[in-house]
Amino acid sequence: MSEIDYDPQQKFDGVDDDIEAVVEDTELPRRLKTKVYRTVDERGAGVEDADQIAKAVENRYLDTRVDPLDPVGTVSAQSIGEPGTQMTMNTFHYAGVAEIDVTQGLPRLIELVDARKEPDTPMMTVHLEDEFAENRERAHEVVWKIEATRILALGDISTDVADMLVRVDLNPDTLQERWPTVDNLAEIVGEISETIESKLGVDVVQLDETVIEFGPDEPSYRELLQLVEDLREIVFKGIEDIDRVVIRREDTEESEDGEFVLYTEGSELGNVLGIEGVDASRTTCNNIHEIHRNLGIEAARESIIEETMNTLEEQGLDDVNIRHLMLVADIMTNGGGIQSIGRHGISGSKESVLARAAFEVTVNHLLDAAIHGEIDDLNGVTENVIVGKPIKLGTGDVNLRMGSEPARTDGTGEGAD
Amino acid sequence: MVDVSEHELVPDHSVLAEEELEDVLQEYNIDRTDLPKIKRADPALPDEADVGDVIEIVRDSRTTDQAVVYRLVVE
Repeated sequence: MSEIDYDPQQKFDGVDDDIEAVVEDTELPRRLKTKVYRTVDERGAGVEDADQIAKAVENRYLDTRVDPLDPVGTVSAQSIGEPGTQMTMNTFHYAGVAEIDVTQGLPRLIELVDARKEPDTPMMTVHLEDEFAENRERAHEVVWKIEATRILALGDISTDVADMLVRVDLNPDTLQERWPTVDNLAEIVGEISETIESKLGVDVVQLDETVIEFGPDEPSYRELLQLVEDLREIVFKGIEDIDRVVIRREDTEESEDGEFVLYTEGSELGNVLGIEGVDASRTTCNNIHEIHRNLGIEAARESIIEETMNTLEEQGLDDVNIRHLMLVADIMTNGGGIQSIGRHGISGSKESVLARAAFEVTVNHLLDAAIHGEIDDLNGVTENVIVGKPIKLGTGDVNLRMGSEPARTDGTGEGAD
Repeated sequence: MVDVSEHELVPDHSVLAEEELEDVLQEYNIDRTDLPKIKRADPALPDEADVGDVIEIVRDSRTTDQAVVYRLVVE
């Protein structure tokens, strides 16, 4: 798509030097030039036709460009706001990709523009590398490194009140499954015992190959129950915030078998990117702050656009022009961090007191402004509407005045009367 | 640590030379502080970048093939 030395003649047979010359001569961007080439090629048009087509497209292109002093922000707000009224008001959780609940519709859109610290339903899409993507067993190795494994998944807990002991009966099959790279059962059980010892501060005794036992230092019924409670919380393997991982085979362009992709409930992008087997170039999450932290502001901008567009598309509102969403994302990421739209973000940091007061919590802003003796320079739109002055947009920003003499004195009758 | 510049969401970042910066500022008729910002701690920032530098970012754009934008490194 983005070659610098682009050669249309190589790509389209019907394009010769003359046609290339007339098309390249226009002010069109590369994307539109390619479209012109394609059309010329398909229709088998000659140089003159090509010239006319290129000129017509160029005129239309120049015509539809944003005029100077066009209120693009207002147009964007309306263009996103109107379809927003058609979106579902309720949070419909639905079995989206691979049975993972994802917030959709208006709540998701609000979440995005409000730049919430944590989305309602955080999730990650984890792509895998090489053999991890092709082989289900290898893919599962990655799953167990990501999904949090707690004691309940590994075996049964029983409490012996008479001897004040907690007994854990581990399931050997599950252990083998979750530690696929370790062959030796004893090693796995040893690892689990060590984790319990360090987290709970107790001495663990191994009774059998897969049975371990421990109890409080002093015989106390409360302590015993507390130990069981704490035991359930320990994460033996995987990442704490990730409760569930779903594995799914997806079609790809490169390979016929497709590849395995993991979807997770909960997200922790920073940790996951470093795991062996994870493709760190394609793995993403739906938390824009996490993307910002791990991949930077440009990636955050990109993901805001992507997420808002997907949310709209999901609701069948895909005719919103992407430029509006790009503008929103540009504004939100302008300061190097993510700022929300609204009182605590963009609208709250406006220069003008009147503009801020017109948005939300009017009295507070007026009061603060009065206390600090703020001055309003009346540069923006809102404040000028309030005081009844022309706004500096479109024709409001240019000063026209009637000439004292007719503009033309050559007798053609035109000019100012 | 993972190389974030490899990620598909991260466009190319490079430090803009002073002379080129002059042209850019002149073209848009702005000060360098009018540019969008990028934090010093941004993971996608090139190592040699320092506060006050201007970063040239070449994005694959949705509306044209490549869009060049600039960000000023802050704090």
